[in-house]
Amino acid sequence: MFDDNLFDKAFNLFSRVEKQDFEYVYRGYFTHNITKKILVLADSNIQKSVERSTIQKRIYYIMVEGLQNITRHQDDLENKADKYPGIFAIQKRKERYYVTTGNLVLNDKIPELKKKISKINSLEKDELKKFHKEILRAGVISNKGGAGLGLIEMSRKSGNKLVASFELVNEEYSYFYLQTQIPTTKKEKLDSDVQDLKLRKSLISIKKLHLSLIIENIILYFNGFFNQGNLLSLLAIIKGRMNMSITTIRLSNVMVEMIQNIIKHGAERSDEISGAPGVFFLRQKENNDFTLTSGNYVTNEDAEKLKDNLSFINEKSDKEISEYYDKILLDIELGDSKKSGLGLSDLRIKSGKKLEYSFHDMGNGNNFYILQTTVVNLQK
Amino acid sequence: MEPLIIKETEDTPEIIFNPEDETFKISKVSVPEDAYEFYDPIINWLKEYAEAPNEETIMEFDLEYVNTASSKQLIQVILALEEVAKNGKVIAKWFYEEIDEDMQSLGERYAKLVDVKFEFIEI
Repeated sequence: MFDDNLFDKAFNLFSRVEKQDFEYVYRGYFTHNITKKILVLADSNIQKSVERSTIQKRIYYIMVEGLQNITRHQDDLENKADKYPGIFAIQKRKERYYVTTGNLVLNDKIPELKKKISKINSLEKDELKKFHKEILRAGVISNKGGAGLGLIEMSRKSGNKLVASFELVNEEYSYFYLQTQIPTTKKEKLDSDVQDLKLRKSLISIKKLHLSLIIENIILYFNGFFNQGNLLSLLAIIKGRMNMSITTIRLSNVMVEMIQNIIKHGAERSDEISGAPGVFFLRQKENNDFTLTSGNYVTNEDAEKLKDNLSFINEKSDKEISEYYDKILLDIELGDSKKSGLGLSDLRIKSGKKLEYSFHDMGNGNNFYILQTTVVNLQK
Repeated sequence: MEPLIIKETEDTPEIIFNPEDETFKISKVSVPEDAYEFYDPIINWLKEYAEAPNEETIMEFDLEYVNTASSKQLIQVILALEEVAKNGKVIAKWFYEEIDEDMQSLGERYAKLVDVKFEFIEI
């Protein structure tokens, strides 16, 4: 009773990120409120992994600039941004942070953008500082801040060259990808060609990710450690994204249960970060219904219990599952919702459909457990 | 009896139990990781209150989100109200947004399972 590709899709996404690292992508319309929540979510994950607060401040600054870039371009394009929504990604890989934005721009604007970026990239640290001053002094700042001050600052704060790329959408528009890389340790001395290649490689990887998110129509994707703080930020993003409706409420309720499942029962926990590693994504299907997918490790012992619970819950009719829910609600002996399956029954009731799931023995005492629920969109 | 006042947080509700003012209210969001820890003192307060309650107790439930861990504790709150009802009149007022069928049906579930008078108020 599940999509054969479900495991591959979820596990491939999950495998992109190593333990202690994270990756978070938002794809869609950016409002002021959503931007604020994205910053909170990203910042709370940075705080967990960066000890040096200067770097944390720099990353925050770069994220703000990047998000402002997206909203600025989005305003320029108005309705076009609905069909080709922007993307914001923050990743941590080993000792490096990557902030990437992708948004639609008019093809006519590309030469000017390219010129600005290559000018910035051609300058050494001191020259860049001088250039920054020059532009400030000249005061040639349009009301949209078009002088490239933001770009200069992003480059300066990161201590790295900017990595940019354009992907043609149609004869009028292209996606403009901009990536800033922030090392958290002393910069490695590399040959400039090697350095350049290294910089490009990670942008290619995120462009590929963007493509698969577009194909699956994934609008929210988080890969890393799940804890209550992350959950609350993700919840706020969902609320900010959609109009208040039963569908939004249900999406939020279902998301809380699924992510708290990871937080409480996920295996492969770490001593340094609270919660458990996993992957979560929200997808809108062609018929406008939503699917929510979570993936995380569980111990083999828990996997056996879960399998029993899931098939037990799926076999029941709507009426039976509702009666079962009442029973466990009143049963104090089954106080632990893990044993009782209250959370899973609730997901089954809210989605009105059978739960899709998949288990894969990882051979190290753990299973990788994927759960997918559907929330019917009632505003079609 | 000393009132029980707990300020809301991002994931736990606001609690105002004040017998003198005749105010009893649980509101906002309830999605804590550890619902037992949060609700235990609340349930204990109500059990103590049940011994000598006001003539009439109107408990308002005005919740936005409830996770399943909380729903299991909320039924204990309502069962404690059953105790209050032995020594006084009790009404549970269950508020829900017009569009929020899920909150409505949670209240209806409680009303069915517990011997406390429920009133439903659509907002």
